[in-house]
Amino acid sequence: MTEESPIIELKNLTKSYKNGMEFRALDNANLKIKKGEFVAIVGPSGSGKSTLMHLIGLLDTPSSGTLLIDRNNVTNMSDKERSEIRNKMLGFVFQYHHLLPDFTALENVMMPLLIAGKKRKEAKETAEKLLKEVGLEDRMDHKPGELSGGQNQRVAIARALSCSPAIVLGDEPTGNLDTKTGDMIYELLRQLNKEYNQTFIVVTHNDDMALKADRIIRLVDGKITVQ
Amino acid sequence: MHYELFIALRQIRARKFQTILSVGAIALAVMVLTVSQALMVGFTDELYNTTVNKLPHVSVSPQEDEDYIYLYRTLVDNIEKVEGVSAVSPFLTGKASFRFKTNSYNAELKGVLPLKENNISDIETDMVEGDFRDLEYSRNTIVIGSKLADKLEVNPGDSVNVSFPNANPLSLRVVGIFHTGSPLDESLTYTSLDTAQEFYNVPDVINGLSVRLEDFNRDREVAAKIEKTGYKARGWTETNPEILRTIAIETTSNNVILGLIVVIASFGVVSALNLSVIGATSQIGMLRAMGATIFSIRTIFVLQSGILGLLGALVGTLTGIAASLGIGQYEMPAASSELYGGLTTIPIVIRIGDILVIILAVFLLNLIAGIYPAQQAAKLDPVKSISSK
Repeated sequence: MTEESPIIELKNLTKSYKNGMEFRALDNANLKIKKGEFVAIVGPSGSGKSTLMHLIGLLDTPSSGTLLIDRNNVTNMSDKERSEIRNKMLGFVFQYHHLLPDFTALENVMMPLLIAGKKRKEAKETAEKLLKEVGLEDRMDHKPGELSGGQNQRVAIARALSCSPAIVLGDEPTGNLDTKTGDMIYELLRQLNKEYNQTFIVVTHNDDMALKADRIIRLVDGKITVQ
Repeated sequence: MHYELFIALRQIRARKFQTILSVGAIALAVMVLTVSQALMVGFTDELYNTTVNKLPHVSVSPQEDEDYIYLYRTLVDNIEKVEGVSAVSPFLTGKASFRFKTNSYNAELKGVLPLKENNISDIETDMVEGDFRDLEYSRNTIVIGSKLADKLEVNPGDSVNVSFPNANPLSLRVVGIFHTGSPLDESLTYTSLDTAQEFYNVPDVINGLSVRLEDFNRDREVAAKIEKTGYKARGWTETNPEILRTIAIETTSNNVILGLIVVIASFGVVSALNLSVIGATSQIGMLRAMGATIFSIRTIFVLQSGILGLLGALVGTLTGIAASLGIGQYEMPAASSELYGGLTTIPIVIRIGDILVIILAVFLLNLIAGIYPAQQAAKLDPVKSISSK
């Protein structure tokens, strides 16, 4: 793989819903994202930011067009293959943390590693290291209900990073947090991006945050307007 | 440990109240099943003991076109040597008319060798008056059933006149009365083989042999071996098919009802699990985002149902065994003893094989029942699940 080859490439990617009338949530999107880039996706609500996110995250399937991840065409893969890519190459941070409420912070961070088939011991070591990195070494055995919103979001970030994914996707990762905590989380993401050279794609409403990204992608009515 | 099991176990533990209810429902059904099975087997065993044990396990009859078995002493010796046979008793039996004073009734007069007959039946324990062995020691004696004795109004010591067309009329002294609680009490009488031969006016012959087996379940197999001697031999399951049929019908109807109870309990688990799928929508979405396959999501929920079923089955069989043993301890009121054929306690038989089958069947049933909610969980669209909180 050369430096120039994009880690993500969208070719005429379209997602449409037919509900009487055809509605294009994403309309002929073409986009290349390089390895290690920190990209912010901005746009008004309903502009297709989340749809783009879900398509790149292999949580949704496009109606037409092609999506390449690490030069592999993932458009027509089986559930098993897509699940494996999600597990090994993608990390997710959503607006709401979506931690499993019955598991401790440590177990939540271990979960992607267990899904990947790693041994308990190995998963535990990795998860402990990551939780230290996000500053939660003294909260590892707490369940989500016993942690604050910011702490839970940091657990969610540690979880997203646990399988060392090439790509981290954030769907308004700071949207539920107060400004101060949000800034802290955002700084954390930026710092991790520089540290590990992982690709970050973050959907945000916050212009200040977007300005700190390497590149801003603006969506309007399902179309990419500024790259 | 696979992560599917890890998640399934944790979620069962986290939903304590729901788990207790689900396990309780199955346990209750399984307990009823276990107790009922123990009672069923107990009563079946009792039925075998009281009915089948009193029947000849195998009956040998004369060759085709023959009325009698000649040279029966060698045949008795030969059959006694057949593997599985524990005792053989030759007999000469036929109809006879019994008269005492003005009372007259027809019944069967069976001539036997008393010592041998006692080895194949419980006749000695069924005697209520006199001694069965007296037949052996004095000629022209008879042992009759209690109901026939009542009808003829005879007592031990009385002599009854026995006659039949083409037979030599005899006067036989009653030396004993037996009571089995069955219709035989008014239709059967015993005398010695010699006396019967004299009455029916035949030489030293018999017209049948009763065979007792070490294991009455092998009746057809042993009967086939005996047939190699050239005589017709039929096992009790062939001569009394209605006994097996009765047991089979009762067992089947019993099992159908019990099966339904367990199915209903499993439905409870399904609906509880279905609710928990709805409650866990966003978690399922996140698991999918983390790379859990559709198959894994399904596995998590099928496992939960299976584990709840297994727990319920274990608790249910344990309480069921305890309840069965408790019922087995219960002493029946002495007054009703006659009504239940002399039983003093309720017969209970717990078979380890039954318990294992119940546990396995309930576990499998719950695995299957879990498929529907699991399918609902697996079908969830990850995008929509994550959007819902």
